[in-house]
Amino acid sequence: MAAQPQEEPIVALRDVHLSYDGAREVLRGTEFKLRAGDFRFLTGPSGAGKTTLLKLIYAAHRPSSGSVRVFGQEIGDLRAAELPRLRRRIGVVFQEFRLLDHMTAFENVALPMRVLGIHPNTYRDDVVELLSWVGLAHRIDAPPTVLSGGEKQRVALARALVSKPDLILADEPTGNVDPVMGEKIMRLLLELNRLGTAVIVATHDLNLVRGLRQNILRLKEGKVTLHGPIPEAPSETPPQARRGQAS
Amino acid sequence: MSVEQDLQALRRGAAPILPENGISGFSLAIVIGVLAFLAGIAMTGFFAVDTAVRGWSGELTGTVTVQVRGASQADIETAATEALSILQGTEGLSNIKRVSEDASMELLEPWIGSDVLPDDLPLPALYTADVTPELRQNLTPLRTQLADDVEGASLNDHGAWTDQLVQSARRVRGLAFVAFVLVIAAAASVIVFAARAGLTAHRNIVEVLHLVGATDGFIASQIGRRYLVLGTLGGAGGAVGAVIATKFLAVVTEDAGGFLPSFSIGMETALWLLVIPVLLGGLATVSARIAVLQTLRQGSFTV
Repeated sequence: MAAQPQEEPIVALRDVHLSYDGAREVLRGTEFKLRAGDFRFLTGPSGAGKTTLLKLIYAAHRPSSGSVRVFGQEIGDLRAAELPRLRRRIGVVFQEFRLLDHMTAFENVALPMRVLGIHPNTYRDDVVELLSWVGLAHRIDAPPTVLSGGEKQRVALARALVSKPDLILADEPTGNVDPVMGEKIMRLLLELNRLGTAVIVATHDLNLVRGLRQNILRLKEGKVTLHGPIPEAPSETPPQARRGQAS
Repeated sequence: MSVEQDLQALRRGAAPILPENGISGFSLAIVIGVLAFLAGIAMTGFFAVDTAVRGWSGELTGTVTVQVRGASQADIETAATEALSILQGTEGLSNIKRVSEDASMELLEPWIGSDVLPDDLPLPALYTADVTPELRQNLTPLRTQLADDVEGASLNDHGAWTDQLVQSARRVRGLAFVAFVLVIAAAASVIVFAARAGLTAHRNIVEVLHLVGATDGFIASQIGRRYLVLGTLGGAGGAVGAVIATKFLAVVTEDAGGFLPSFSIGMETALWLLVIPVLLGGLATVSARIAVLQTLRQGSFTV
């Protein structure tokens, strides 16, 4: 993983606005910076713009106005041919996994390496080791269709890591897994961060966030309303969660 | 680790990036096969007519005939000697032969029958001679000399008849070539359509590939590789079908007394039929690649 100079953020958003087809603005003047090795939970209610913000960072969208710089490159100025090079430095994990059902767990994890044209002999051991690290050594030849939600998410995580990216983006990675598995996945992301990879995790699960004591980036109606440690008494805990805690 | 486990480990990562049963698969190979068959038939027709044209041109335009008529057999013989002298003195003519009396009678039989010919009927003298292509280009001086110097002599080089025949055959040959080109163009269109449809059907896979950093060229090459297999297999099946059909046609046309062009497969035709799978494989690869790149560059596929 290439080290960035300390003073140069790997992600920098300045006064970013984004609206889909000229309709309601999803992001409204969003600003934040992320340095190499940082960990951020991206929180906020549904529709706050969390997924849109992640999509901007991995260049699936371009901002309507403002600046999005990722690894020193202005996303709005990138040509289509330059996108693959940028995306190879970013590993992305989705709530809905996005695994290829006609491939095994091994083949899904190895996909980024095949895309890079690397010979299987070079990455075979790494993929096996990575699948072992996420606890799936016994499911190496299983297709996603027979895996549980938690197993699929760990395969997706291994796929995001295999090319040793500088930045991991995880969009609700615990959304489709049980709480125990959710915590396990979060621990894996934290361990990865401790090894030097910057991580942004978008999540609704404030209980999980609170337990892991990491900095948060809170979005509300397309604006950053908090960037730093999570408050002791979070005001945005959903009523259902509060009711759950009370009982 | 057991041998089986070793083999399993080696096989890992070998799955195609796009599912085998996708991008129209088997049915597309069938369509390509049918088109390859039609292309093969068109190609065989082209070569059959081409061979016939060359045969007719060679046989008929390579010879001339001189006919000497007269009021009596004695006049005919005198004039025939003069005509022979002129023919022998003409550069570019060789193998000059007089058609025998029996052969001349046979030529007349279809018109006047064999039983009613009187013995003293003056039969025209006929000479045949091989002519070089150079002399064939301009027979007018020889024709004029014979007409001026020999009473009742005329030169027939079959040119008017063969020119029409050859011209008609060349049109048929051209039509066969156009049919071949159209069938290949139809195959390319089908492949382009299928590649675009396949890309749309596998939008989720394309999105994941983009997500993990695949270039449009990589995706196009993966799909192109699949179409190479489909095009080659379909083309080979169609070519084999065309060979079988041609063999059948060869048997049928043999009974036509040699008037129809022969559909037997010569070396040239066989080689060209072998080219069909290669041609369709290459065409499928290139067409699919172009279609995929165009679709991806239109920007309708994101991550």
